[in-house]
Amino acid sequence: MAAAFAFGEAFVLGLASGPACVASCGPVVIPSLLAERSGVRPQARYLAVFLATRLCGYLAFAAVAWEMGTLLALPARERSWFFAVIHILLACALGWYAYSAGHACAPAAVGSELVTIGPAGRRRVPGAAVLGFLTGISLCPPFVAAGVRAAEMANLVAALLFFAIFFVATAVWFVPFAGLGWVRRNEAVTTVARMAMALIAVYYFYAGLMILIGKSAYGR
Amino acid sequence: MAAKVLLTREPRSIGRSLLLTLPIAIWAALMFTPAFGHANRAQRIASVITAIFMVILFFMMMRTWSTYRWRRWFFVALGLLFPVGFIHQVIAMRGTMGIPIEEMIAGRTPFCFLPIPLLILPAALFKTVVFPGSILAGGGMSGAGMAAMAGIWLAVAIVVGKGWCSYACFFGGIEEGMASLPAKAKVKKIDPRWRYGPWAVLLAMVLLSLALFEPAYCMWLCPFKAVSEYVAARNTVGMVQNGIFIALFAGLVVALPLVTKKRTQCAFFCPFGAFQSLFNKASVFDVKIDKARCTPCVLCQKSCPTLSLSEASIAKGETLMSCMKCGACVDACPKDAVVWHIRGTEVAAKPERARLLFLYAAWGMAIMFAGGIIAEGLATILHLFA
Amino acid sequence: MQKLKAKLGYAGAGMTVLLAVLAPFVLYGVFTKGFSSVGLHVDEMYSGGPKVRTIQAAGYTIDIHRQVSPHLLQNEKAFVQLDWRPASALPSQVNDDVDIDGDGKPDVHVSFAVPKDPKAPLRVNVDPLNPRYEAMRNVGKQKFSELIVRVDDAVLVRVPVAQ
Repeated sequence: MAAAFAFGEAFVLGLASGPACVASCGPVVIPSLLAERSGVRPQARYLAVFLATRLCGYLAFAAVAWEMGTLLALPARERSWFFAVIHILLACALGWYAYSAGHACAPAAVGSELVTIGPAGRRRVPGAAVLGFLTGISLCPPFVAAGVRAAEMANLVAALLFFAIFFVATAVWFVPFAGLGWVRRNEAVTTVARMAMALIAVYYFYAGLMILIGKSAYGR
Repeated sequence: MAAKVLLTREPRSIGRSLLLTLPIAIWAALMFTPAFGHANRAQRIASVITAIFMVILFFMMMRTWSTYRWRRWFFVALGLLFPVGFIHQVIAMRGTMGIPIEEMIAGRTPFCFLPIPLLILPAALFKTVVFPGSILAGGGMSGAGMAAMAGIWLAVAIVVGKGWCSYACFFGGIEEGMASLPAKAKVKKIDPRWRYGPWAVLLAMVLLSLALFEPAYCMWLCPFKAVSEYVAARNTVGMVQNGIFIALFAGLVVALPLVTKKRTQCAFFCPFGAFQSLFNKASVFDVKIDKARCTPCVLCQKSCPTLSLSEASIAKGETLMSCMKCGACVDACPKDAVVWHIRGTEVAAKPERARLLFLYAAWGMAIMFAGGIIAEGLATILHLFA
Repeated sequence: MQKLKAKLGYAGAGMTVLLAVLAPFVLYGVFTKGFSSVGLHVDEMYSGGPKVRTIQAAGYTIDIHRQVSPHLLQNEKAFVQLDWRPASALPSQVNDDVDIDGDGKPDVHVSFAVPKDPKAPLRVNVDPLNPRYEAMRNVGKQKFSELIVRVDDAVLVRVPVAQ
């Protein structure tokens, strides 16, 4: 009964945090969705890959934090070298994605292949997966709120289940973005998406560098 | 098909031009009369000069059948005089162009129209305005408040669509002036994909503003902080921010317009301009090309300051969404194929009627909004030097 | 059909001209009231949040605002804003124990000098008497979430809340 109550709380917390999740992931998700092929199916596929790997990132981080006993007191983003590295990796992934999207098959074409990033040859991975995982371990504020609550669970499995249910509830807010598939893809849309990704990548790179030198984005 | 051949062109008669100018003259008198209640002599003189200036320009638009070169005089005057009046006011009130944090806390940061698209999502989702101003008048430099500015913007946007960028923007005149200085462009070939720049900046800034809960464009990218105000630098990052806007101003607003003869900041960067393009879809007025008359010589495409005509759009008989209704292409066309147009009517059936109706609306809004700014700048000069 | 479309077009153009004329006299006020009645508020990171209590002191009052928490990815801490408002003038040195949460026990000790020159920079020291609040040593106005500034004749102090 107590467990059901706790997991119900996880779901409600996730639903309430959804807008915050969308807002903090928005700069990554929306331009990259626009750079993918048109059609609801490719967009849904992107979101599925993104959210699945984001969940993996969430759970991996939560498991490590639980084992280290730090789930209740997660380090502030702006003071941790770990998040600086994540920001820089995210910037690089976004930049690479923007570059790769320009070399992918015409986004107006039929098909559901996602834009892949990585070296030429077989070892390329969907950009959605990389971006999803990196946003999953980048410790957004809703994650911290869930972490405080999950730390009170009896064991690791319960804590991870709490996170998973919380995550599913936040993921509900991402579903409408599959509707971006109805936006017709042409040179204008994909160029805008790629340029926007590049701009956002610059900001993340800068923010990561600032965290590395112990400052916030405004140097304080 | 055109029903009537337009002549190119004897000037319109003085009598008829005066008659057509009369409504604008009455409007200018109505708009500037309250200024005569001011005790300040410089403001009264400046109001009279501005009113006469705007009326004369409209008269010349009627007399010569052309729009662009007369509108440009107004627009460059606005771009030059806005910083004069604004910077003077800022320095008189607080002694510096830098906004100190206490002004932001007190809600006295003056609100400009550029952050409007960035504020929409946080306001819609969280009922929060992420700008350190006052919703109503808040004293100091807050002016009439953010609600007032948003109201003016919406009215002008509904009336003229992206014509805001030709009849209301108090920054665009600077680069329009720079672009008109050289006789010829040094750089003539520009990759048309740069036209997507404003949309990319708009998308990135809207998303970052929602995530960071601040007007990201104002904090990081606005080049016009060089001629208005900026957040006072409190550390090295603040100096870097100031360096960015100075570099963007020098590059996009001064240097590139000089070498390309295009409004490069507007065409390749301004996110507000991209946002205003959406209002072009709703605007009743637009610019069309009469395909029966078009040769195509693409002089219209070359004359457009914002690359809002492409070969494909010319073939379709229309401008691109980024058209700011400045009139350059209409005036440049030797065959009178490029015409002002009202949606729903036949292309080139009565283009002068369409131009007149558009100009009454646009020039009326210009006198109402921009006229006061020009008068303020002029009054500052008169006050300082007279 | 073409004639109808043309008539509608001219009607739209006429209404647009009318809108341009009405805007400064009627519509401006309508739009302004409309925007301001939607229930928007300026981000509390700037405004400091609404005032919740006032403490009377000798010759001045201390307004206590509701705690403000940062949004999403804002790089600031949660804080509480305290305003020292003089009846006539603030003393040259302020040393006050402030009960922020209204439980009858002081939560922070705040001390700052008030220079006669209103443009002189201010510095504040805050010693927490309640572990909920963070200490501040010789702090000026570097961050929105911990600062001391003068606004008109009042002095505003923002005390950060411990994470």
